[in-house]
Amino acid sequence: MWQYISGVISLGLIYVIATVGLAVFTGFTGLFSLGHAAFFAIGAYTAAILSYFYGVNFYVALAAGAAAGGLVGFLIGYPTLKAKLRTDYFAIATLGFGEAIRVLLENLPITQGARGLPGIRVDTTLPVLLVCATLVIAFAWNLIHSRHGRAAIAIREDFVAAEMMGVDIFVGRLRSLVFSAACAGLAGGLFAHYFGFIQPSMFTSYMSTQMTAAVVAGGMGSISGPVIATLIFIGIPEALRVANIWRLVAYGLLLVLIMVFRPQGLMGYRELNLDMIKGWFRRAEKGGKA
Amino acid sequence: MSRSLEETLEPQTVLELRGVSKRFGGITACKDITFTLPRGRIMGLIGPNGAGKTTAFNLITGVYGVTEGAIVLDGVSIAGMRPDRIVRLGVARTFQNIRLFRNLSVLENVVTALDCHETYSLGASFLRLPGVRRRELGLREEAMAFLAAVGLEDKAATRADAMPYGLQRKLEIARALALKPRLLLLDEPAAGMNPEESLDLARLIRRIHDEFKLTTLLIEHHMDVVMALCERIYVMNFGEKLAEGTAEAIQRDPDVLKAYLGEGFKRAQHI
Amino acid sequence: MFFQTLVTGLAIGGIYALMAVGYSLVFSILNFSNFAYGSIIMLGSYIAYFSMVKLGMPIGVAIIFSILGAAALCYLNERLAYSPLRKRRASSLFFMISAMGTAIFLENLVYAVVGAHFYAFPEVFTKSNITFHGVSIGVLDVFAIVFSSITIYGLHTFLQKSRTGIAIRAASYDIQVTSLNGVNDTALIGLVFMLAGGLAGVSGTFLGMKYIVYPTMGWITNKAYIAAVIGGLGSLPGAVVGGILLGVLETFVSAYVSSVVRDVFSFSLLVLLLMVMPTGLFGRFLEEKV
Repeated sequence: MWQYISGVISLGLIYVIATVGLAVFTGFTGLFSLGHAAFFAIGAYTAAILSYFYGVNFYVALAAGAAAGGLVGFLIGYPTLKAKLRTDYFAIATLGFGEAIRVLLENLPITQGARGLPGIRVDTTLPVLLVCATLVIAFAWNLIHSRHGRAAIAIREDFVAAEMMGVDIFVGRLRSLVFSAACAGLAGGLFAHYFGFIQPSMFTSYMSTQMTAAVVAGGMGSISGPVIATLIFIGIPEALRVANIWRLVAYGLLLVLIMVFRPQGLMGYRELNLDMIKGWFRRAEKGGKA
Repeated sequence: MSRSLEETLEPQTVLELRGVSKRFGGITACKDITFTLPRGRIMGLIGPNGAGKTTAFNLITGVYGVTEGAIVLDGVSIAGMRPDRIVRLGVARTFQNIRLFRNLSVLENVVTALDCHETYSLGASFLRLPGVRRRELGLREEAMAFLAAVGLEDKAATRADAMPYGLQRKLEIARALALKPRLLLLDEPAAGMNPEESLDLARLIRRIHDEFKLTTLLIEHHMDVVMALCERIYVMNFGEKLAEGTAEAIQRDPDVLKAYLGEGFKRAQHI
Repeated sequence: MFFQTLVTGLAIGGIYALMAVGYSLVFSILNFSNFAYGSIIMLGSYIAYFSMVKLGMPIGVAIIFSILGAAALCYLNERLAYSPLRKRRASSLFFMISAMGTAIFLENLVYAVVGAHFYAFPEVFTKSNITFHGVSIGVLDVFAIVFSSITIYGLHTFLQKSRTGIAIRAASYDIQVTSLNGVNDTALIGLVFMLAGGLAGVSGTFLGMKYIVYPTMGWITNKAYIAAVIGGLGSLPGAVVGGILLGVLETFVSAYVSSVVRDVFSFSLLVLLLMVMPTGLFGRFLEEKV
């Protein structure tokens, strides 16, 4: 039983790492990355190839996966962000790049194409994941509460005004994208060494969709919101044994409902904090007494 | 009035426009605009709607590129520079339609402006080194000081868009001040205000102009504010210069009266 | 080979043109990319398919059902997922999320309810060829070209000559001014979505006939975005030209280079254009007023 629960938590933590990265990008700069699964895949393949074919140490492979994700994020982000594409066309461009990467992964000899890479060392354990997730969340939190994070938020709020506050829009967005791509890459490496087997068809738009849905549902402009949303998205369907397909139907519907009824998501523009939790207890008490 | 040594050594002109023109396809928004703005002065830029005043601001702040002409800030040519670079060189502006960061608090709006001159590294941010923590506290203190300068210190935690219109305008000004500019561009700061509020605003602008040793260029339609603050006025009409001169001279200029002020214009007091 | 490729290219171009016009109609009025449009096209295809297979209707009636069905769905989409956002003057980011949510919901609903099977249209004229100067041309291609041309011409006449059409063209320049001049903008927007839906029905049916019917066939709308950029965002004639050009170019790339490269080519073209010539061929300069 514990085996099963720890498995669900582990999967949840892997996605939390990737989603926190996406939350920093989408939630704080307001741009959409529809091909984010591609960075995840790059990280997974880089880490897997290094550890499987070259016997590289697990942690080094993870770092390489994160670095690879970040690098590809930089390469993709540089031309698309330089062109100052509007939100929707940026999203379409990321979709195109995601597609290009998928084609690449299916056709390079080293990735063994659509067959995938089996036999990867299973080095990812729950403690490793807990440490990684905590570190990533801490870094993201620090980034948001620094001048670099404020620049990203300003870009999301009003990029014309942000420019007038001396913010370099291009650099601000690129920085966020590279960070989020590196997070996805790290998550990918952890993923590969958790399942022991990867193939291109695992990194589909289903993954990108779930991450995006978690960011929106959790609340753009928050870190804790998407973390909670991710854990709910992974945990509850597992508990209810819901098939993947119906999960996606639910995600789609959820996105629309959130936009129509509660666009600020779960956390709005705020973070989970002690005052908030105290407030819930106070209200629950009052409710009980009434 | 005696000048200090620094003042004598600094260049006397903060902003100079020479033959600046801007064309959008077939439309000429600005044609051959030329003026100089000496250090420490407040100059008014007035004219009917569509005269090209905001376009001139957009050209100075780099939002638009000039089609022709030169824009010089303290001896440095800024025409064609990216807007954020121009801001970092010391130009701050407010917007005709307020552009605050609506979901952020009043304090956060000002802190974001202060970031402009902050330099701690990305790595330091990630690790939240002690230096960063100190700087962040310092930024908040500085931001509170700017809020106090415009009288908003008790609203620091309020959401920017939850404030009444007049206070939002003040926040815009506080934010511009926090950029520590040498040149302040105010785009219709008194828009939507009644005469009492406008005069209050005029007094605020005068006070901060003196306190922060600014050079100010002001677009405004409220003539009481313009005449109260500006020593010199540049009048635009249809993208071109209509007249230029002291406030007194402009109020008497027949062309200006005909095109914009109206024949029955009463002369206003200078404060 | 050249002539055959050209004819196929024109046929695909015609279908792309229909999709691009449908997309551009909505884009030019509301200034947002309706990411759910692809799923409407997909549903149009399914409606036509099931009309023929389950209800035994001839192709002509199937197309009509498809047009009506897709128009109704597109209209509903607008009413339920976008209208509430418009009333709130939500930012374009929220529209995009709502559109994405609708797309994910519809695609996966079809997956879950109908199944993942690929459906092939009954042999109407999918296999027949005519010989012209010794070259073999698919009748379906010819039919697609003719039908698309008629549809586009019909739409053109409607937009040029009828009062409603003129109102739509006015709205594509500035919907606020148009509504100030007495046009009911809510009704207009509803009508535009219905028109776009109708176009989706036709293009979906032809796509289904030319290729195959499956739940995620809606991704093909990416071609519509690319076509719209080629022709110039905001221009309806541009969308037509862009669609045809893209169809022809793509088919030649697929025939003479490789079909795997085809999509990468189209996306690269998109990114290149957006960086170098964002207004496309006939585009209007859409900039934000400061």
